[in-house]
Amino acid sequence: MFSLEKLVSIIQAWLQSTLRDPWAYVVVCVMVGVAAIALFAILGLMLVYMERKVAAHMQIRLGPNRVGPMGLFQTTADTLKLVMKEGLTPDGADKFLFNLAPFMVMIAAMLILAPIAFAKNFQIWDISIGVLYVAAVSSVAVIGILMAGWSSNNKYSLLGAMRSAAQIVSYELSAGLSILAIVILSGSLKISDIINSQADGWWIIKGHIPVIIAFIVFIIAVTAETNRAPFDLAEAESELTAGFHTEYSGMKFALFFLAEYINIFIGCAIGATIFLGGWMPFHIGNWEAFNHVMDFIPSSLWFIGKTVFLIFLIMWFRWTFPRLRVDQLLNLEWKYLLPISMVNLLVVTLMAIMGWHL
Amino acid sequence: MNPSLPFFVLATLSVFSALMVVLSRKPVHSVLYLIFCFFTIGGHYLLLNAQFLFAVHIIVYAGAIMVLFLFTLMFINMNKELEPHKSNLLKGAATIAAGCLLLVLVAATKGAETLPAISKTSDIGTVSNLGKALYGQYLLPFELISILLLTAMVGAVMLGKKDVE
Amino acid sequence: MKALIVIALLGVVTMMSEVFRFKKLLLPLVVVGLLAACGLAIGDWNTAIRYYSDMVYFDNYSLAFTSLIIVLTLLWLIISKGYFVSDSSRAEHATLILFTLCGGVIMTAYSDLSMFFVGLEILSISLYVLASSNKHDLKSNEAGMKYFLMGSFATGFLLFGMALIYGAAASFNLVKIAEYVQTTAAHGQTPMFVYTGVLLMMVGLMFKVSAAPFHFWAPDVYEGAPTLITAFMATVVKTAAFAAFYRLFSTCFGDISGFWAQTLAVISAVTMLTGNILAVSQTSLKRMLAYSSIAHAGYMLMAIVAMNKISGGAIFLYATAYSLGSLGAFACLHAISKYGDESIENLKGFAADNKIWAGLLGVIVLSLAGIPPVAGFFAKYYIFYGVFQSNFTWLVLVAILSSLIGVYYYFRIIITMVQPRSEKATVLPALTGAHKALLLISALLALGIGIYPAFLQGLLS
Repeated sequence: MFSLEKLVSIIQAWLQSTLRDPWAYVVVCVMVGVAAIALFAILGLMLVYMERKVAAHMQIRLGPNRVGPMGLFQTTADTLKLVMKEGLTPDGADKFLFNLAPFMVMIAAMLILAPIAFAKNFQIWDISIGVLYVAAVSSVAVIGILMAGWSSNNKYSLLGAMRSAAQIVSYELSAGLSILAIVILSGSLKISDIINSQADGWWIIKGHIPVIIAFIVFIIAVTAETNRAPFDLAEAESELTAGFHTEYSGMKFALFFLAEYINIFIGCAIGATIFLGGWMPFHIGNWEAFNHVMDFIPSSLWFIGKTVFLIFLIMWFRWTFPRLRVDQLLNLEWKYLLPISMVNLLVVTLMAIMGWHL
Repeated sequence: MNPSLPFFVLATLSVFSALMVVLSRKPVHSVLYLIFCFFTIGGHYLLLNAQFLFAVHIIVYAGAIMVLFLFTLMFINMNKELEPHKSNLLKGAATIAAGCLLLVLVAATKGAETLPAISKTSDIGTVSNLGKALYGQYLLPFELISILLLTAMVGAVMLGKKDVE
Repeated sequence: MKALIVIALLGVVTMMSEVFRFKKLLLPLVVVGLLAACGLAIGDWNTAIRYYSDMVYFDNYSLAFTSLIIVLTLLWLIISKGYFVSDSSRAEHATLILFTLCGGVIMTAYSDLSMFFVGLEILSISLYVLASSNKHDLKSNEAGMKYFLMGSFATGFLLFGMALIYGAAASFNLVKIAEYVQTTAAHGQTPMFVYTGVLLMMVGLMFKVSAAPFHFWAPDVYEGAPTLITAFMATVVKTAAFAAFYRLFSTCFGDISGFWAQTLAVISAVTMLTGNILAVSQTSLKRMLAYSSIAHAGYMLMAIVAMNKISGGAIFLYATAYSLGSLGAFACLHAISKYGDESIENLKGFAADNKIWAGLLGVIVLSLAGIPPVAGFFAKYYIFYGVFQSNFTWLVLVAILSSLIGVYYYFRIIITMVQPRSEKATVLPALTGAHKALLLISALLALGIGIYPAFLQGLLS
């Protein structure tokens, strides 16, 4: 079985033996950058394909099936078309901000990738404040969205950006609080510590009901933060054309589109990491034999499997729930989710103090 | 590589962005420069190995406060005509006053003895140390800040709510 | 400390009154709670305990000021009954007032710059809101906004100063800063950092107490804010701010007083003159009181300039006398401003209609002006005496001169009062029971302190 951990150590050993010190570091940086961009491209293509296939399945259709085997190359073709389109900048737009905005959103999405552990010991930067870092950087994406909406000089864009920002800022609270529940249980903000604390069972299993509540709140918050149905009123087609990216076309539109899917991936990856154990295989207490069988499955597959499952869950929501109004959306957060997650946080703290989770 | 190079880069950027906050014509640009300024200051925290402070700084200032600023500014249509006009006398007085302050501060810093910066490996800025300081020595101010926040909240609600009776 | 906890909890409880529907109990609750807090503060007399790793230090100085501001708040509550009974957001008003008081108590008792900052911010933020609490009045909105902007600006200076002091002394603790300043001053090596820090903190505090070159916000804010809030700001808040100012400078920077005392002396002289001269030309009673409060800030600054054995007691006595006088004057102003017009002319014919109450107002005004038998005179006397002992003779002369200007406009109030009613003024100020009670109490207290001033003064000497 292949292991990403071994791959990394082989590459590092080779680089350090062939190149002098600062250069090995530079090459690693470049490789990480290239790998991240490649991952983004592949993720974008795959997730869009997955979305269309899932949607089709839910509606008893076939979905894309002409370009390539089972329509696999459909999204590639779409991307090519987008890249070749002319990038328009509307008259009266703030040109600099208009062109900067998609990159802001994209860079924010890329930066969040740093602390995510894709497999055992396969992580770009195990920063000591892991989950807080994620919260910090993801809050930056809002600025990009607001910039895009304002600089387009278009009412629909501005309104879309406002709705989107209000939504993200509000739901960040309950997402953060539910992450904090796990931070309290595992006693660390570091992603690797959080994963290692789940070696004898994922938090969702050994954390009892409070963690399940936190997980549900988190999934709702992630759905809202990524502006997806049923919380997609930021780009409600029937009201606002396309929300904050109405005026964008060509490559810049593609960047927004891509960032949206990357954000779904990141949200789900974080959820999988802190609630479902990340790359940690499914372990049950001290069933040695069972645990060894589970360990046999590579850690990267565990991680990707859990993440894709959560992504599927979010795609499922889209075809299940009707869209909320803006007031319902904010009521849901401020009057229900936030109080619930605060009380839940207290319960979790009590649980951690009394040691009920052990 | 000069070890203080990152500091100088960050410092230059923060001074530049702080200046641009004041000099920008459009208010939205000012706010965006301010956000950038906060990021560079966050970078300084990182240089001091205070990662927690960095994250909190970004979350609170760039992520929450400035977003609300942007929010409000974008709703208000700020025109040049609405800008209050300042007479040249006032402008000159303000420049001289601020220049004097700058002079004093520079003079104060110039004569000061310098201490070595906290080493990069020190963990004084980590969450656990910060938590110990907050719940140990600074327990009372930390708890009283809750009163401060409560005050702000009550005030905002009072000013914002409709009169019922 | 107990008083602080009681006041903070009381604030939280009053906030809940909206949710749990005991708004009718609001006023009795606040009064009982404040009486309890005051009792607890007085009960701690002569204990001098440092709490929570020396964050607050309740010595006699802070206990005296704590009791003073609680008593002033209680007196203030007499006229502000309407504010707590009929207004739709009375629960919030009560909460904010109590939190302001809480901030004030912290400011009188802090022993660490971080606590000072927290206290100051609690006090200021509640006040920003209270100043604009008359939501439908543009002037009140403007007052709140102006106060907020100016206050934040001042806080910026203060924080900058604190940062520099921290950079030099490596501690926020007042005792440690004092030790540091003492050792470096003894060797003549006080770093520039400290001087700059002291200067910046001074600027920030000047803004807060509305001393002369930084006083521009005060008249507008005092005029725009609801009269009751102005009364609160001019008395309780000013007392707390001066308590904090004096505490900081007497604890920490006494050893480098050569550096700042001259500056402060000039500022105090300018403040007195500006306040008194500008007060002369005011036609609105509220604005006149605002300028008079600026002038009184100048007198109180003198005590900080003097900084000797008797100044602690002197500033306490002065704050008491001034606050009682102002409360009485504001009670009167509140009575006449009910008709929206705050001009002095409204007082015409006041004496003819209410002889006793006019007499009491006269006593209060005499106290504010500093005429012998009443409290204000002795307050001024002790302050001047202290300054004289510290060899600032010129400052005393300026103070006496500006007091004379003060006498002129204070007597204008009395003269207007005894004049016959003008034909223009159709309505007469109607004193309600509450106003009468407050007038009576403050006039009696002013007289009482005037008879035996050494009691209050001696508390802190």
